Amino acid sequence: MDEYINTKMTANPLIVLREEFDDWAILFNPDTGDTYALNPLGVFIWKRLDGTQTVSEITEAIRTSAENVPDEVGKEVEDFLRDIVRLGLASGEKPSS
Amino acid sequence: MNNEPNEIKPFFPLGELYFYLTGDCNLRCRHCWIKPKYLLAGRSSSYLDKTLFAEIIAQAVGLGLSGVKLTGGEPLLHPQIADLIAIVQKGGLRLTIETNGTLCNREIAEKIASVENVFVSVSIDSPDQDIHEWIRGKKGCFFEAVAGVKNLVQFGVRPQIIMTIMHSNKDQLEPLVRLAESLGAGSVKFNILQPTARGEQMFADGEAVDIAELIKLGKWVDEELSKTTKLPLYYDVPLAFRSLKSMFSPKSGNGCHTCGIFRILGVLADGSYALCGIGETVPDLIFGDAAHDPLKNVWENSAVLNDIRAGLPAKLKGVCSECLLKHVCLGSCIAQNYYSNRDLWAPHWFCQEAYNRGLFPASRLRRPPENQPLQEKEKQLPEAKNSGYP
Ligand code: SF4
Ligand code: SF4
Repeated sequence: MDEYINTKMTANPLIVLREEFDDWAILFNPDTGDTYALNPLGVFIWKRLDGTQTVSEITEAIRTSAENVPDEVGKEVEDFLRDIVRLGLASGEKPSS
Repeated sequence: MNNEPNEIKPFFPLGELYFYLTGDCNLRCRHCWIKPKYLLAGRSSSYLDKTLFAEIIAQAVGLGLSGVKLTGGEPLLHPQIADLIAIVQKGGLRLTIETNGTLCNREIAEKIASVENVFVSVSIDSPDQDIHEWIRGKKGCFFEAVAGVKNLVQFGVRPQIIMTIMHSNKDQLEPLVRLAESLGAGSVKFNILQPTARGEQMFADGEAVDIAELIKLGKWVDEELSKTTKLPLYYDVPLAFRSLKSMFSPKSGNGCHTCGIFRILGVLADGSYALCGIGETVPDLIFGDAAHDPLKNVWENSAVLNDIRAGLPAKLKGVCSECLLKHVCLGSCIAQNYYSNRDLWAPHWFCQEAYNRGLFPASRLRRPPENQPLQEKEKQLPEAKNSGYP
C-alpha cells in the first residue's frame, strides 16, 4: 500500500477530457468511442495526472483545496486511480527502490 | 473433423414484455402516441385474451423475463384486468402499469398493491382541472384521475405522476409537483410531446413548445425545481440534455430515457408481437402472432430485431452517430425514430433539431462543430477552500 501511494500517475494522452458547466466531465477515447463520466473529484484528480505527482500528493492537494473532506478520501482516490488504470485511461510509475 | 471454433451467438435475455392490453381508451388525449379507439363507457371489446396472456408469460420466463408492463390504450379497461395482475403476481414478476388513473377504483388499487414489486404511473397533465380535461378530451376525468392516485396511495402504492409538456401547461410544472406532493405520489416525470400519432396534429397546431425553451425548462427542473421537493423529478429528454450529475444521482431511475430495445418486446391487443407499441401504427414492425408463433422463435430469429442487435448503436445516423452517449442512450427510442423517418437508424428528432439549430451540447459530441466551440469554463476547479468536498 505504501508503495502505491508513492506511485506517480500519468493520464493516457490519447484520452480527451470534456469539462461541462457543472464541474463534471466526460472522458472519451476518440479511437474506440468509449466514454466515462467524471464527477468533480475525478476531474480534480485527472488534472493532476501529469507524471510528477504521487498518489499521496494528489490526496493531500484535495485535503487542502476543499472543505469537509472525509477521512476516507485517500481510499477513494486510490480506488479511482486503480479503476482508471484498469480501464487503460492512466498508468503509474512505481518509485525506484 | 470440424476444426472451426464454435460460433458464440450473443445472448439477449428478454427482460420485459410491454403488453398493449386493449385497442381502446376511455379518454381522447390530444398527445397520445398510439391513437386508440375512444370508448365512451363500458369495458373494452378488443383486448388481449387472458389465456394467451398467461401463455406468452410462461414462454417468456424461459427467455429471461423478469418484468411486465401493462399499458394500452387504457390497460384498466381490460375486462379481466384483475386476473392478469394475479398472473403477474403469481409469476413473481415485477409489474409496471401505465394508466390514466380514471378507472383505478379501490378494488383495483388493492389488487395492484398486492403485487410485491410494483410501479404505477398515472398521467395528470395539469393541476388545473379545465386544462387537464381539455388535453385529455373528457369532462370529469381530472377528479377521476386524482381519485385513482388517492386509492393507490391508500393501499401503499405511491405512483409516479406523468405530465406531458405543451403550450397549455408549460407554466404549471411547479404547481403539478405541489399537487403530486399533496396526493402522496412517489415521483414526477415530465414528458416531451412527441410528433407521433395524435402528437403529430399537436405539432401542426403549434401546441409543441420550442426545443430551445424545452432545454431551458429541463435545466430549471434539474437545478431549481428539484431542490424544492423531496420527490424525484425526471425530465424526459434524451441523455445529451441531462447533466451527468442527474444521471448519477441516487434520485435517478425509472425515468432515464434510453432505449431498452435489446431486452423488451411489445405485445399488441390482438396478440401480435411488435417493436414496443409502434406496431399499432406501423404494421411493418410486427414480428409475429402469439397465437401461432413460438415466442422463442420470434425473439431469437426476427430479422428486424437481429438487425437492431447487430447495428445499434454503430449504425445510428445524423447527430446520434456523433454523440458520445450513444452507447448508453441507443438513440433514445428506436420506435419513435422509425415512426418519424421509416428508418431504424434515424437520429432522434429532438437531438437532430437541436443540433441543426446549434443547441446540442458541444461537450457531448465526438467532433464539436467549428462554429460551436466547447464551453469555456468560467472557473477552474477548486484551488481555494471554497467549494466544499464534492
Ligand atoms: S444524439 Fe442520439 S444517442 Fe445522443 S442523446 Fe440524442 S438520441 Fe441519444
Ligand atoms: S423503442 Fe422506444 S418504447 Fe421501445 S424500448 Fe426503445 S425507447 Fe422504449
